[in-house]
Amino acid sequence: MLANVTSAVLIGIDGHRVDVEVHVASGLPSFTVVGLPDASCREARDRVRAAVVTSGFSFPPSRITVNLAPTDLRKSGPVLDVAVALGVLAASEQVEPGLLDRAAFLGELGLDGRIQPVRGALPLAEVLADGPLVVPSGNAAEVRAVAPGARAARSLRGLVESLRGDAPWPDVDDPAPPRPLDGDRASPDLSEVRGHPLGRLAVEVAAAGGHHTLLVGPPGAGKTMLAERLPSLLPDLDRSESLAVARVLSAAGRSAGGGGLPQRPPFRSPHHTASVVALVGGGSQQLRPGEISLASSGVLFLDELGEFPAAHLDALRQPLESGTVDVVRAAVSARLPARFLLVGATNPCPCGWAPDLRCRCSPAQLSRYARRLSGPLLDRFDLRIHLDPPDPSALFAPRERTESSVEVRRRVAGARALARERGVSTNRSLRGAALELHAPLEASAVDLLRARVEQGVLTVRGASRLRAVALTLLDLEGRRGPLGVDDVLLAECLRSHDVLPGVPG
Amino acid sequence: MTALPHEAYLACMAGLPWVGPVTLRRLAGLGPVERTWSRLVRGQVPTEVLPPVSVGAAALVRSWARAAGEVDPSRHWDELRAAGVGVTSLGSPGYPAALTEDPDPPVVLFHLGNPSVVAAPCVAVVGTRRPTGYGREVAHTLGAGLSALGVCVVSGLALGIDAAAHAGAVGGGAPVAPPVAVVGAGLDAPCPSANRPLARRVAASGMVCSEVPLGVPAAPWRFPVRNRIVAALARVVVVVESGATGGSMSTVEHALRRDRTVLAVPGPVGAPTSEGTNRLIADGAGVCTGVDDVLAALGRDVAPPGRGSRPALSAPSGLAGRLLDLLGWRPETPDHLVRVSGADPRAVARAVEQLVEVGLVVRRGGFVERCAGPAPDRPT
Repeated sequence: MLANVTSAVLIGIDGHRVDVEVHVASGLPSFTVVGLPDASCREARDRVRAAVVTSGFSFPPSRITVNLAPTDLRKSGPVLDVAVALGVLAASEQVEPGLLDRAAFLGELGLDGRIQPVRGALPLAEVLADGPLVVPSGNAAEVRAVAPGARAARSLRGLVESLRGDAPWPDVDDPAPPRPLDGDRASPDLSEVRGHPLGRLAVEVAAAGGHHTLLVGPPGAGKTMLAERLPSLLPDLDRSESLAVARVLSAAGRSAGGGGLPQRPPFRSPHHTASVVALVGGGSQQLRPGEISLASSGVLFLDELGEFPAAHLDALRQPLESGTVDVVRAAVSARLPARFLLVGATNPCPCGWAPDLRCRCSPAQLSRYARRLSGPLLDRFDLRIHLDPPDPSALFAPRERTESSVEVRRRVAGARALARERGVSTNRSLRGAALELHAPLEASAVDLLRARVEQGVLTVRGASRLRAVALTLLDLEGRRGPLGVDDVLLAECLRSHDVLPGVPG
Repeated sequence: MTALPHEAYLACMAGLPWVGPVTLRRLAGLGPVERTWSRLVRGQVPTEVLPPVSVGAAALVRSWARAAGEVDPSRHWDELRAAGVGVTSLGSPGYPAALTEDPDPPVVLFHLGNPSVVAAPCVAVVGTRRPTGYGREVAHTLGAGLSALGVCVVSGLALGIDAAAHAGAVGGGAPVAPPVAVVGAGLDAPCPSANRPLARRVAASGMVCSEVPLGVPAAPWRFPVRNRIVAALARVVVVVESGATGGSMSTVEHALRRDRTVLAVPGPVGAPTSEGTNRLIADGAGVCTGVDDVLAALGRDVAPPGRGSRPALSAPSGLAGRLLDLLGWRPETPDHLVRVSGADPRAVARAVEQLVEVGLVVRRGGFVERCAGPAPDRPT
């Protein structure tokens, strides 16, 4: 007898609907799964057999064939367990096939018949949301945003009873213990930063204009401190952004149990020993999202940028431009989001003090250190600012009041609204003709930029980036009108022409 | 084969393993170089010319014979000519006169460019490879001012002060007296590679020379040895910035041994980059505050005011003046300037630009640095 159950599998951060067909026929007892299952998916046989028996059903001593359609899609993971078990029960006439009609089931089975939560429940529920859906009770809170009508199930036995109407559907485990989401972790506040007037301005401009930022300075200058406060300046996520963030978190298996969608932008700071796959995403089978996707709509902070292998950094260049990363393997490919704001921090030289007289690095060391960051990568940083450690005298001085993140966030939101009026999400995306149109220059500012390009201290591309930064400065002040010399000069202070002191003059 | 100039043989000898300036001079002293070359090929070299090397005399003679057997002097000579490299040797007409009386002259000198430029009075401008903006500007100003006044600037084409002096000397278009660079590696690979464009500019107007044959890379011991040529060519040696030890101090030693005048540019007390120069002044070296002091040391009339000497700078007023005071003599970040001045970032950016325009301040690598004075053409 044949039964048909609907479920879905995850590739990258997208769910794909899968039809689980189970055929029970007479013959020598066997249990085969066909339709491109990988090893983790084929293991379902043993879990299903045990779970069916321990749930009080009988496992049919027949020839069982499970087909996972479409058969050209590679399936991995235990998410199909529940669907396979129900299919076996329906095909062996222990469950009425009509109960499974049109419904979709997600979940991993334990040997005792318990239904375990699965990775990526949110994107999986999205593709199945058009019909009745049953998810593991551990995932119920997570999927509520996309599939409000989804039922929860705790065990195979309980699921069958609820389907038959013999028992009520279990309540969604609520409220789950409040576990803060990665991005919702209470972000430190900008008011804790002492000194660094330009550093504060730089992170404000970065937040408002979406400009990638490179912070250079000796150890203890406060690079990490500023970078960690950048997310607190970003406005709350809107509905589509928070859904995108939740989708990636769910696919990475990092969803919070607390329910609801994340409201605050994520902040990720991978260590420099992270592998390329951990950064950009991938893996041979499952194509998990990497750090750049987890940081999408938020901030990716790379501390000690110069310590990252050059190949890893250059792998970021294309996602930086396109906002997505296409992870392609021989059998499978996925497009993952990568719309992150990149913040890098680095020392200026191996000892950290250049060009101060305290620096004892040789010229060869300096130029070697400077070569670690490729020109094309440095070019992508719209803001490049040097920080020095605060004066020791200021450290223990009474704290003067400085603006808090909330106050700055209000200005940032205003500037972002102006950018949206121009048809882009942030000023970073303004290029070419759009920049000409929205960031007109006063004649004197044109002269200044032209002189800089003629002197060779500024590239044409650099001049256009400088212009975008100056426009963001103007937006933050709420001024309109053409950019003046002062705006360009201040933008220049935030975007040093040559960052690392390795180049001899 | 007899038609070959004897520089061809010397050039080949200079390229043999373990042959430095001293051994080359001993080899050249053995008699006609053609005969010495054939003795080298046959492995019949008198033991008194052999340098003390760890491999032993017999092995050294064998390795010379093997290396010499692989070199054809006439082919090598053609290669040199094709590369545009001139060769002069001690005693030949084109050899710099200043070197003929030297206690330790290079036997052979390879050069690119015009060797006659050393006929002008020569002044060495040397200093640390890691200068401050101040030192860089002084070196640049000296290079530009001296070459405009017909003084040949000699330096080592190293990073830092050397490069700044050379850049100053070739920067103003057609210098009255083109500069000379003495490098420590073969002319086909002048070191450091970052200065190769500058080396080409120096060779185009003046001369780049070396006693190291083509194809020999730089080795650490070559640089102090090279410094003796810099000191020997120059009548006055100006040290712009230098630590208590270092290559510039070795040039000073060579200069004192040769009775050359040594001038030092004073710098801030306590700055490591001026430790050596301030010490030199304490020990009795002349003080160099500009082109005029160098001209006086050369025994030339001091240029009339306005020519060669710095135009007076009016002290900037307002925020720019305050920033200049706050800057001191070390590089500072704009962030620091905004913090300590307490002024609006936009006003600070404008004031820094003013200071850069009048030439009191330079921007380098994201830092703002005070410099000595207005330079006609700042090295970038």
